[in-house]
Amino acid sequence: MSILIERPPPHGGRLEERVVHDPELGRKLIKGCPTFDIKATLDDSGTPVRNVYREIMSICYGFFSPVDGSMHKAEVDRILKERRLLNDWVFPYPLVFDISEEDLKNLGVGVGDRVCLKLKGKPFAILDIDEIWRIDNPEEFATKVFGTPEANPEVVQEPFDKKMPGWVIYKSLNRVVLAGKFRIINEPTLLPPFDKFWFPPVKSRQEYDRRGWRTVINHQTRNVPHIGHEFLMKDAGYTGDMEPCHGIQVNAIIGVKRPGDYPDEAIIEGHAAVNEGGYIKPERHIVTFTLWDMRYGNPLESMLHGIIRQNMGCTHHMFGRDHAAVGEYYEMFATQTLWSKGIPSYGFPASINDVPYGLQIRPQNMKEFWYCPVCNEIAYSECCGHTKEKQKFSGSFVRGMVAEGLFPPKVIFRPEVYKVIVKWWKEFGYPFCNAKYVKEKEKRLEVDLPDM
Amino acid sequence: MAKSIAVLLDDKRIGAVKGSDLEGKIEQMFGGQLSCFIVEMDDAKAKQVMDAFDTARVDSRGFITDVPIAFNRVIFEEIARTKSLGAEAVDGVLARVDEIQKAAAKEKEFLPCPEF
Repeated sequence: MSILIERPPPHGGRLEERVVHDPELGRKLIKGCPTFDIKATLDDSGTPVRNVYREIMSICYGFFSPVDGSMHKAEVDRILKERRLLNDWVFPYPLVFDISEEDLKNLGVGVGDRVCLKLKGKPFAILDIDEIWRIDNPEEFATKVFGTPEANPEVVQEPFDKKMPGWVIYKSLNRVVLAGKFRIINEPTLLPPFDKFWFPPVKSRQEYDRRGWRTVINHQTRNVPHIGHEFLMKDAGYTGDMEPCHGIQVNAIIGVKRPGDYPDEAIIEGHAAVNEGGYIKPERHIVTFTLWDMRYGNPLESMLHGIIRQNMGCTHHMFGRDHAAVGEYYEMFATQTLWSKGIPSYGFPASINDVPYGLQIRPQNMKEFWYCPVCNEIAYSECCGHTKEKQKFSGSFVRGMVAEGLFPPKVIFRPEVYKVIVKWWKEFGYPFCNAKYVKEKEKRLEVDLPDM
Repeated sequence: MAKSIAVLLDDKRIGAVKGSDLEGKIEQMFGGQLSCFIVEMDDAKAKQVMDAFDTARVDSRGFITDVPIAFNRVIFEEIARTKSLGAEAVDGVLARVDEIQKAAAKEKEFLPCPEF
């Protein structure tokens, strides 16, 4: 019996790579096609909550393999019932290309047609339509995506509502869905500061080979890392097989986030500052990202995270308390429940690793880290016995300190990391995401497109 | 259950209470790297605070957080004025809710960046 853990295959067996690299071929593929300018999904107040371009990027570059396009109705129905694609592989969320009835009328397309999707005024991708279907009631649809306390009593504590960003995304969808495969026909250029951190699955697997990494543990983030996050990464990194994981990967989720989260630019550069400062040496640490407008779906989001990082080639994934959560809609260890014993009401009577067509990336379920004044160190909750003296890294507390303009002590933020926060605070006039940041970012996005 | 608020203290705020009884009530956090006052309040007063500020929440430590920055400034002013970490200071804050809410509306668009 070998105790060595090998890199898992992509979810579904092979990586989707739906990007045309030859501009001449790209031009041929869109010749004579009707065009459609991609629009942001807006909430009731007109604030962007999602841009489907991020989903097209993540599908076509293989992050969401084996998904290859906008989903058919039967596929969406199966996901809502069993969290599986029609080919049986597990998948948490419907991914759809939605447009309004008016846009459909203006576009004048039907099944069998090809649409050229434009982004920032330039050709970006094609969608080959093989079904047009409608979402009857977006609010009911949104509720089905995440569940209810009655239908999912193991993990859902409160009904989802307008304070839950993922629910708002699905509630705000247009009713018409154009289903079919995507292909990027004009390869985008990633803008700074994101360009340095762009490692789609094919490239990330090559990068692990180049670095000699057999085992890699992933850290999910939507945060600038405080010391608690850093110690989570360092300690979870001891997981592996006969030796600790060779690599520690940060994969940041870049896209629209809730007010109060940090700007994407600060998140990605803040993590890079951890290795640039030598706190986790660069030879063992890599910062990457995925384009996705977070749904904050806790266990469901963790399933997507597992898929993304398995596709990238990671062997392990760390999961903490309140993973990808907002508010108290989910029980705080719902993600760990999914990965340890399953959530039957979502279709998983056993761990998502132990069901047919499940995931092969291994979970590392962690509790929490705090500062212990008795131990005088950052301590793991399952080691440190000084529970009365502990001082927790509350994200809200840390954000409050930042907003007041106090220079945080080194036991909370590395100075290099805090300087990144201040750098982007100066740029945006605000340390966190707010409506102004989200609206400006929607114009800028994370990519530019070449002329065709 | 009673709720708490941590009021962080920088050098300027510590200077403002120097020599008063409040100086002895300064708490140290994170191995002495942060100083603060801990203000405790009963459920009724905590509810008034939560109702007045829609961003406010209670974190896993039982502390009220995510209040406007103006709230933090005003609660320190009221602590310094009343020389108390108790109900008097909280009452002083609740009497100034309108003022805090006006300042909080401006904070949603802009917060001055610190210079170091």
